[in-house]
Amino acid sequence: MSGHHISSAKFLWGVGTTLFLLTFITVAITWIAIPAPWNVVVAIGIAVVKAIIVSAFFMNLYWDTKFHAMLFVLSIVFFLLFIGITLLDTLYRTDPIPTF
Amino acid sequence: MATNEATTSIKKLQVRRFKPDENPEKHYLNEETGIWAWMTTVDHKKIGLMYLASITVFFFIGGMLALLLRTELLSPARSFMDADVYNQVFTLHGAIMIFFFLIPSVPAALGNFVLPLQLGAKDVAFPRLNLASYYIYVIGALFTIFAIFTGGVDTGWTFYTPYSATTSGNVMAMTFGVFVLGFSSILTGLNFIVTIHKLRAPGLTWNKLPLNLWGLYATSLIQVLATPVLAITLLLLTMERLLGIGIFDPNLGGDPVLYQHFFWFYSHPAVYIMIVPGFGIISEVISTFSRKVIFGYWAIALSSLAIAFIGFLVWGHHMFTAGQSSLANMVFSFLTFLVGIPTGIKIFNWLATMYKGSIDLKTPMLYALVFLFLFTIGGFTGIMLGALSVDIHLHDTYYVVAHFHYVMMGGMVMAFLAGLHYWWPKMFGKMYNEFWARISCGLIFVGFNMTFLPQFVMGAQGMPRRYFNYIDQFQPFHQFSTMGAYVMGIGFFIMAGYLFHSLRKGERSGSNPWGSRALEWQTSSPVPLHNFEHTPVIINGPYDYHKPMSEFQLGIATSHNGHDHHAGDNTDISKTEKEQA
Amino acid sequence: MSQPSALEEKLDHLQHHFIDSDQQFEASKMGMWVFLVTEILFFGGLFVAYIAYRTWYPELYMLASTELNTFWGAVNTAVLIGSSLTVAMAIRSAQLNQIKGLIINLYITIALACVFMVIKFFEYSHKFEIGILPGSYYSYEGIAHEKANIFFSIYYMMTGLHGVHVLIGIGLMIWLVVKAKKNVFHSGYYTPVEITGLYWHLVDIIWIFLFPLLYLID
Repeated sequence: MSGHHISSAKFLWGVGTTLFLLTFITVAITWIAIPAPWNVVVAIGIAVVKAIIVSAFFMNLYWDTKFHAMLFVLSIVFFLLFIGITLLDTLYRTDPIPTF
Repeated sequence: MATNEATTSIKKLQVRRFKPDENPEKHYLNEETGIWAWMTTVDHKKIGLMYLASITVFFFIGGMLALLLRTELLSPARSFMDADVYNQVFTLHGAIMIFFFLIPSVPAALGNFVLPLQLGAKDVAFPRLNLASYYIYVIGALFTIFAIFTGGVDTGWTFYTPYSATTSGNVMAMTFGVFVLGFSSILTGLNFIVTIHKLRAPGLTWNKLPLNLWGLYATSLIQVLATPVLAITLLLLTMERLLGIGIFDPNLGGDPVLYQHFFWFYSHPAVYIMIVPGFGIISEVISTFSRKVIFGYWAIALSSLAIAFIGFLVWGHHMFTAGQSSLANMVFSFLTFLVGIPTGIKIFNWLATMYKGSIDLKTPMLYALVFLFLFTIGGFTGIMLGALSVDIHLHDTYYVVAHFHYVMMGGMVMAFLAGLHYWWPKMFGKMYNEFWARISCGLIFVGFNMTFLPQFVMGAQGMPRRYFNYIDQFQPFHQFSTMGAYVMGIGFFIMAGYLFHSLRKGERSGSNPWGSRALEWQTSSPVPLHNFEHTPVIINGPYDYHKPMSEFQLGIATSHNGHDHHAGDNTDISKTEKEQA
Repeated sequence: MSQPSALEEKLDHLQHHFIDSDQQFEASKMGMWVFLVTEILFFGGLFVAYIAYRTWYPELYMLASTELNTFWGAVNTAVLIGSSLTVAMAIRSAQLNQIKGLIINLYITIALACVFMVIKFFEYSHKFEIGILPGSYYSYEGIAHEKANIFFSIYYMMTGLHGVHVLIGIGLMIWLVVKAKKNVFHSGYYTPVEITGLYWHLVDIIWIFLFPLLYLID
């Protein structure tokens, strides 16, 4: 069964160190001023990488049944639907917040 | 995992036939009796019945409120309640019917009772969580009752800002009650998803799953994905009132339309939480009473999932006139039409199931037919409302009121009643009076149409919803509608009467009064404490009426998962399957 | 999954409606994953509010985030990642039947979670002092934007709810320690440790997103 994967201590420490490193990078990158949309893209990109590392190796999704990974992805897909469709409204209004 | 063992490995199971006991001495109702045993039970059947009792109480309260509203509307202006009271009464009618009756009705009450039975499981995956979700429901209900007696709520069941952030009633207690209720709904959904995945009986593969379970599965997915958004919405609304955080309140720089996005991201899918399990029941009932294999099994199963998914894409059609961008209006209007596709697939498949079937017009089947008729009207008028230009005219009129009552009451409540009458003998081992049941069904059908058909006309002529007063032109319609409501009320009182009579003096029903092939009927009625005395084994689909009953009553012959080979009258499961092929 | 035969006997934890430990373990784990789905969408609502307002008022976010201390935010990120690591180590200890290691790792996790909350406490109290209070109590004059209160409403809702989740996590962890001391867990049964771990990692992941979105805007 896939449910009982045991990681070695060394491996877990490696994952932890990578995450610390990425945290440092995401802070350090703000010291060099990246132009407007790209700073957000980079910051979110690093956060996504970190989240994937945590979910794959700390939460064992990498070794687990596919269904759990599917659930995880499903929740993110529905979040994206939520924000995506809401933005269709909020970004394209003539008046950002309607006045009554 | 039991399922995998039976289907994918080459291990052979020794099975034999287990005929259900027609007159069981011991069953879940007479084992572990007493108030305390009921209050602390983790048995899904008892929890289901506790839910059933609770939602009946709320349906009664909500129904009486509706009758009060209709009585007030007999004449324009004030007849016996003030405008403020009227506002509170329609708010309560909506909130109670939706949050306390419709949402838990099929999943939590009937679903809880029937889901493990249809899976051949002893219980749901997390029985204690199941009990907890019932008590969370009760706590939510207590908060709501508290809100009613400490100022009341007059915002409508949607709690739109900015009014809900500023009105004087006790909105906080009410929204907190609904917030709590959300957790009950989430836990039920979570429990069902895991149970369907992990606790299926040997041989019960996904393509043999009863359609009721596909419906409940789709419903559970919606519950799990949508309800958290309601929770955060109501939490933000509570904070709006408590701290004035301003996210939704235009007086503090916030955006009330954003509230509507949040609210409808839950509440539109919630419409499908209410109706999709009803589809499941209708599939069961139509197949059983047509004596025929269901037409288009996969089409019906997958269309439930499709409805669940599309339901998440269309919430903005509630907001066409709310000030949302015209681009969003167009996209939402277009997406709304998509809902019609899977729904239509279902209707056609049900009709095709009945075609050339041996139709038996027992009460559950009558309700299923009423469902088909009323729900189709509800669905078509929904398509009209989804059309952007038409909706601008009809928005917030009685047309909308009539539409969603046709869907919610004509659809969901009829499906619920079909399910209640269908599984009633399974729950209590007793029959109800068929004659009075048909009378009551007829009265409800006639009363319902009398109540809501005139509302379509009124709405199209411009009668706005939620109004206390109206112009004289609408009085005949309102009066006719109110008469219909009374007729419907009589129908429900007759139902209460014969069901109560059945509980006390009903004749014994036997284990399978409908001759159904579904698994829940292959155990005695009332059900034994642990559902089956054996581990059931499934080799046929739940609607295979062309196969003999004996093939539907198989169970593992020995208690050691089929490793012993000594029993004499055992059938080898693989052999039986070969014979069929 | 074959388990060491000596432990096969210890089946006190097996509930009657499951066939074996594995089925029960898998069911519990799937239950937790479904619960995590609800958590993601719960926080998702706040992220939607965040993004909607950010696209309307990008300059507000630039101005307001300068009030947040990047250094302490980064420290807190590191603290939470460290606690995730120790939770993973705790699960490993349980899987290997090392109950002492399990308890020690849980203690470290609780300590790190408390450090996180203490830092959060000082951040909040600093803001309260200068008048950055939630909602209509907001009275700070230092940000030249009429909707500054909304940014901080979102900030307080997001970090506040996250903080509540950390507190719940601490409670769960204490409960695990109590149970571990009673010798409930062994390599054949460590389900509560595993699923609490999943919960805790999710709390970590949410913070991984909150940190750049709130602290690192400029």
